[in-house]
Amino acid sequence: MSLLAVDDLSVSIGMVPLLDRVSFSLDRGEVLGLVGESGSGKSLTAMTLMGLLPLIGGRITAGRVRFDGIDLTTLPEPAYRDLRGQRIALISQNPMTSLDPILTVGAQIDQASRLHAGLSAAAARARSLDLMHQLRIPEAVAIHGQYPHQLSGGMKQRIVIAMALAGDPDLIIADEPTTALDVTIQAQIIQILCDLVAERGLALLLITHDMGVVAQACHRVSVLYAGRGAETGPVHDIFARPRHPYTKALIGCIPREGQAPGTLVGIPGMVPTAFAYPKGCRYHPRCTAAAPDCRTEVPAGSIQGVGGSIVFCHHPLEVGHV
Amino acid sequence: MSDPMSAPILRFDGVSRDFSAQNGFFGRKRTMRAVDGVTLDIPRGKVTGVVGESGCGKSTLARLALHLLKPSIGHVYFEGNDLAGLKPAALRRQRRHMQMVFQDPYSSINPRFSIRDAVMEPFQVHGIRHTPAEGKERAARLLEMAGLDPQLAEHYPHQLSGGQKQRVGIARALALEPNLIVLDEPTASLDVSIQAQIIALLADLKSRLGLTYLFISHDLGLVRYFCDRIVVMYLGAAVEILPSTDAPHRHPYTRTLMESAFLPDPERRRAVTRLTGEIPSAFERPPGCAFATRCSFASGRCYAEKPVLLTTGRHAVACHHPLD
Repeated sequence: MSLLAVDDLSVSIGMVPLLDRVSFSLDRGEVLGLVGESGSGKSLTAMTLMGLLPLIGGRITAGRVRFDGIDLTTLPEPAYRDLRGQRIALISQNPMTSLDPILTVGAQIDQASRLHAGLSAAAARARSLDLMHQLRIPEAVAIHGQYPHQLSGGMKQRIVIAMALAGDPDLIIADEPTTALDVTIQAQIIQILCDLVAERGLALLLITHDMGVVAQACHRVSVLYAGRGAETGPVHDIFARPRHPYTKALIGCIPREGQAPGTLVGIPGMVPTAFAYPKGCRYHPRCTAAAPDCRTEVPAGSIQGVGGSIVFCHHPLEVGHV
Repeated sequence: MSDPMSAPILRFDGVSRDFSAQNGFFGRKRTMRAVDGVTLDIPRGKVTGVVGESGCGKSTLARLALHLLKPSIGHVYFEGNDLAGLKPAALRRQRRHMQMVFQDPYSSINPRFSIRDAVMEPFQVHGIRHTPAEGKERAARLLEMAGLDPQLAEHYPHQLSGGQKQRVGIARALALEPNLIVLDEPTASLDVSIQAQIIALLADLKSRLGLTYLFISHDLGLVRYFCDRIVVMYLGAAVEILPSTDAPHRHPYTRTLMESAFLPDPERRRAVTRLTGEIPSAFERPPGCAFATRCSFASGRCYAEKPVLLTTGRHAVACHHPLD
């Protein structure tokens, strides 16, 4: 059984339905990429998994989320508190806002260890330094005593990762962890995360809009569009044989080496807002292959190919049609 | 005199720019050099890309190009005129021909301006008057050029998406029919699908209007796709100028940048080389090569002696041990 299994999850904020029957699963030692444009529901999925929906007035309206056999959809808040930070950790996009500016970064990692692992002050400090070494933070002792503003963006993100690891979690949800960082630093951070998955058997849900990061780091991919699943499958299969026109278009937005001028066109139009979701397949107004049934019928998921990709499309692209 | 069409539209001649910062109110005043001795020609009708990481001075270079910042040392020539030597009225006349598109379309448009007011603002600044009917027509044409529905003229910025706002930024930059547009990370805050749309629009406008672009970006993949030549900056200095996007790179820093850019192809994953060492502070510039602290080829000479930018053919590199 998977460590994390999300089945037909639907989420509303107020009266507005935002996620509609989203499904994916994630195992230990695996990196799942959750991709899509802004407004596809990626970050909302992260909030849901962290049990933070009440903070934004959201609620689960249907479906189930199971984490290591625990049903998260009905879990009361006190029990959720024991999971959060200790078994499920979140790394957010902006390291500048996840750190307290008036505490040293060391104190913040110590705090996470003391809170989640119940360590004494001395043991927590030793553990923080150990984590900082593992994340290849140079001069860990000196940096332990520094404040966030004294550190570079890449270093701050490493501190946030150290905090996430302090509770020794089974699952890390990383919401655009490298979007605010330079490419050389992004490459380092992604490498560190992948190493952690391989060495510690963590499960990593990597939320990103960058298909380059997905291709580099993920084992499997789940593509979301306007709050619904579009395509889920193994990364090699998805990139070599995208079957959903949206997946193909999204991959085509990244310039390749030696790409001829004028061939990068993007996807016309934009993601609709939740108030104006079109009928049928929500991608049909932007889709080059839209047919009459796409305008009226919501496509159901179908299993395609040997890799077992699940595709939500009435007219999936033929294999070899790349 | 040489053919004016082959002369560069913009020239940086030994340009440096310093900023000073103070440690507290009574603290010591410290000076950092954001741009350090850049000499660079921007050829007409081409896209010159400038890449580098945060703090490498690329945005400062963009502002120096339009004389929004004055150089501390050196000169910037636009169409052969030293911008620092111009009187305010003459500088304003030159500015008509050079425009900028900013990174953040959310903060570069006044939220209290309608889209029409935003697009027409450059005319106001330059004292060009229109009758209301002419103004409407002009704004509609500019919005259409940027791929927007002219009906949006009546809307306000908060009603537009990020991509639409960036198109407004482009429409406004086009208003005065400039020759040179400086694009400072114009797609960095947009989704990849919208980024590709904007790049396609910029490419189309360039060929239709014969524009010259100075394209500032941290995205090497995008720069390689869109630009004709690439300037790589590190800690304020140009360390390599690639004459074409497929020219083999020779500076170890350029190689590091290239290897850090992930390809959208899981069959070609990057072996990420571990960078050791931090970027030196621009306040305490090392005497030798600024990249030496992170470079695997660094020798004693690199720490002692600053490499100069040497040009072979049209390719320039500043390195004691360039790659073959």
